[in-house]
Amino acid sequence: MRRPTVDGIRLSFLLPALGLILLAMGVASLAVGYASLPLAQAVSDVMAGRASLPALVLAELRLPRSLLGALVGFSLGMAGAAVQGLMRNPLAEPGVIGISSSAALGAVATFYSGLSATIALALPLGGIAGALLATLVLFILLGRGASTMTLILAGVALNSFAGAATALALNLAPNPYAALEIVFWLMGSLADRSMSHVWLALPLMLFGWALMASTAPALDALSLGEETAASLGFDLGWLRARLIGGTALAVGSAVAVTGAIGFVGLVVPHLLRPLVGHRPGRLLIASGLGGAILVLAADLGVRLLPVRPELKLGVVTALIGAPFLFALVQRLRREAL
Amino acid sequence: MAIVAQGLSVTLGGRIALDRVDARLEPGQVLGIIGPNGAGKTTLLRVLAGLLKPDAGSVRYDGAGPRELGRRALARRVAFLAQDSTAVWSLSVDAVVGLGRLPHRQAFSGENEADRAAIVRAMAHCDVASFTGRTIGALSGGERRRVLLARALAVEADYLLADEPLAGLDPGHQLETLQLLRSIAAAGTGVAVVLHDLSLAARFCDRLLLLHQGRGVADGAPDAVLDDTSLAEVFGVTALRGSHAGEPFLLSWQTTTRGPNDDRR
Amino acid sequence: MRRKRRTDRALGAALVVASSILAAAPAAGAPPERIVSLNMCTDELVLRLADAGRIASVTWLSQDPRNANMAETARRVPANHGLVEQVLALKPDLVIAGAYTTRATVGLLKRVGVTPREFGVPRNLAEMRAQIREMAALLGEPARGEALVAGIDARLDALAARSPARPLRAIVLRPNGFTVGRGSLVDEILTRAGLVNIAAELGIDSYGQIPLETVALSGAEVLVLNDTPDGPPSLAHEVLHHPVIERLAGRLRLVALPSRLWTCAGPSVVDAIEHLVRATEANP
Repeated sequence: MRRPTVDGIRLSFLLPALGLILLAMGVASLAVGYASLPLAQAVSDVMAGRASLPALVLAELRLPRSLLGALVGFSLGMAGAAVQGLMRNPLAEPGVIGISSSAALGAVATFYSGLSATIALALPLGGIAGALLATLVLFILLGRGASTMTLILAGVALNSFAGAATALALNLAPNPYAALEIVFWLMGSLADRSMSHVWLALPLMLFGWALMASTAPALDALSLGEETAASLGFDLGWLRARLIGGTALAVGSAVAVTGAIGFVGLVVPHLLRPLVGHRPGRLLIASGLGGAILVLAADLGVRLLPVRPELKLGVVTALIGAPFLFALVQRLRREAL
Repeated sequence: MAIVAQGLSVTLGGRIALDRVDARLEPGQVLGIIGPNGAGKTTLLRVLAGLLKPDAGSVRYDGAGPRELGRRALARRVAFLAQDSTAVWSLSVDAVVGLGRLPHRQAFSGENEADRAAIVRAMAHCDVASFTGRTIGALSGGERRRVLLARALAVEADYLLADEPLAGLDPGHQLETLQLLRSIAAAGTGVAVVLHDLSLAARFCDRLLLLHQGRGVADGAPDAVLDDTSLAEVFGVTALRGSHAGEPFLLSWQTTTRGPNDDRR
Repeated sequence: MRRKRRTDRALGAALVVASSILAAAPAAGAPPERIVSLNMCTDELVLRLADAGRIASVTWLSQDPRNANMAETARRVPANHGLVEQVLALKPDLVIAGAYTTRATVGLLKRVGVTPREFGVPRNLAEMRAQIREMAALLGEPARGEALVAGIDARLDALAARSPARPLRAIVLRPNGFTVGRGSLVDEILTRAGLVNIAAELGIDSYGQIPLETVALSGAEVLVLNDTPDGPPSLAHEVLHHPVIERLAGRLRLVALPSRLWTCAGPSVVDAIEHLVRATEANP
């Protein structure tokens, strides 16, 4: 009775397919780097526990970079789908509406004040606090099916404020290098990350993913409006809490360790939406996988481009994502007429 | 077996929306909730659907309160058709109707045989089976309403509450929708409908509940409720009455000199 | 239009102050008595070569022992932030700036008749010696200048004797993953410490970035970490604490070298060379 064109591809096929592509991307990401690394030998050294230099580079430099790229991409992709489902608007995305830059502000506050040097967990928690504040502000001001224009304007306001506050915080930071590091926080990068960053972000991200994924059936019901969703037996308050909390956890911890990588949560859900029959619940995990693939691909590009110092990851995603956003806005305007 | 509401009072935004209203919905019946704008019709429907908690009074579903029943049980027992349902996402018709099975489905399991059968039945009843394979955005207004009604039917609840299902529909679609609702009631569901059109309300409802400024003014058979006094006092109109092929009908004909909003609080 | 008038007024006021300063200028030939230095590197030379009593002000940066080599001496002298009003208020008879001091400040000082003497960054030890002598002459302390140079040369000779038999391969890692390439003063320092600069071999000129992967796989025997110890946090310095560097500690010698020793390409570079020699001659 269901035709694949309108209802998308079955999840039982789509998700494993995306998973396989992600795996391939991961391997490619491990194979690419700044020095020639005999990958096969490095892998066998790591497995055998031999502490050779290739094994060291693989385990301490390439593996964290690839892992973190996948984790951050997953978080941003899923959060994009979650926020779009919550606000019932395809233009909602953590970067566009100001959640990512607020997370960066929170992380900057804990990093340069030295707080995260004493308590490591303070860094992702700072990012989460920033993200939570922004999401709450957005939801309180506009939550229920706000018009696109209102949403984008609120995002502009939040982004401007968070960006300015971040610049201020960096200028006030005791370390003179700090003022130059704004590019990292606002554009994001996977360079020189370590496994400690992975362990720092992973638990909170996992929690965030779980919260968001649990809302899948409710998000589907929400397609028909809040009243219908409530009449179908869903607790709207709990739904919002899980979406807001889950987004803040995932985006906050991601931004805290890699800076704000933008547009992932905009491009990926949009591309995958037809493949899941436009059902917001199904889009969540698919967007996560798609986001991981996109970030790893962008990071491959950043390392392969002969630009040194290495381009910030957010530059690549913005070069893809900003024109995308323009096209999306145009299409929505046309449809609205 | 019935939805019984007693003494419902609701204050919204400082205004009294409902003032000690009683209502009763029995299976197999079509109850029309009528009244002028601002009378509290939608508020009453939302309370009956469990979407709004009253400040005073109680609602009992076959003897049990909403808290006792729990969210999901209530969702299985009462289906709600919201007034304005535009799906933001281009869901397929099947997916939209399938949403009606959510109260029955376990958290993350897919649809089972019972679900699919219910969807088929609902789509057949609302005559939208031919829309399979299309997205809801590609349908016309009337077609979309039928699909959304099928969604509410798919819940296979004991009661169906519809908030102004005729708003914005062509005359043909309006008649179609009401005929559908009657057939749904005939199959055993208790149907409550918020209506503006008095003629249609008089023709298609078994009972009418007339609300005025938040108070229940009359409750009973259409000809009893829509007497000339009520029409003049509540709606400020006089009506023509007639019958055709044995069926009585009602037409609002003229406004009275005294408007219904003169003694608004 | 308004801005120009305001600047003109400020300039006018400055001219009045400046003329009173020029009136107080020492007779030509006498050593300066009120020296103002606007650059951390020139601060160091001034503090080494002139008595504190003749120094009117050095920059505030020089008072931080983490960043400056003569911090204790610097604290005995008032600090400035390089602002023109501060400079003029000090009524200097000699103003010294670096080649990288804010051009606007230098330009403004020139316009009010207080032309700063500018000193660049030496690119090798020969230029460093020449700069010491030039500064000493300017400050009216040629003897102390010669003594300083002689002391440096003596230490360099002593250290040369302690260099390892075979030059060790080394990489320098600076904040943000930068390294030092060929033709820089640091390159010369490494050579005098008996080290071979791998970055120079890799063709990196002057200052360039080196990826951590390359650091790990380069076959280096010595890794010089250029850090500001106990500094406030920054991403630039986080790179220097990456776990891979700790894991490398077992395979090569990690030498932590405070940046301040060679940032200014001044006399303290000898301390840097000594530091390196000591680290490489210790048993691994």
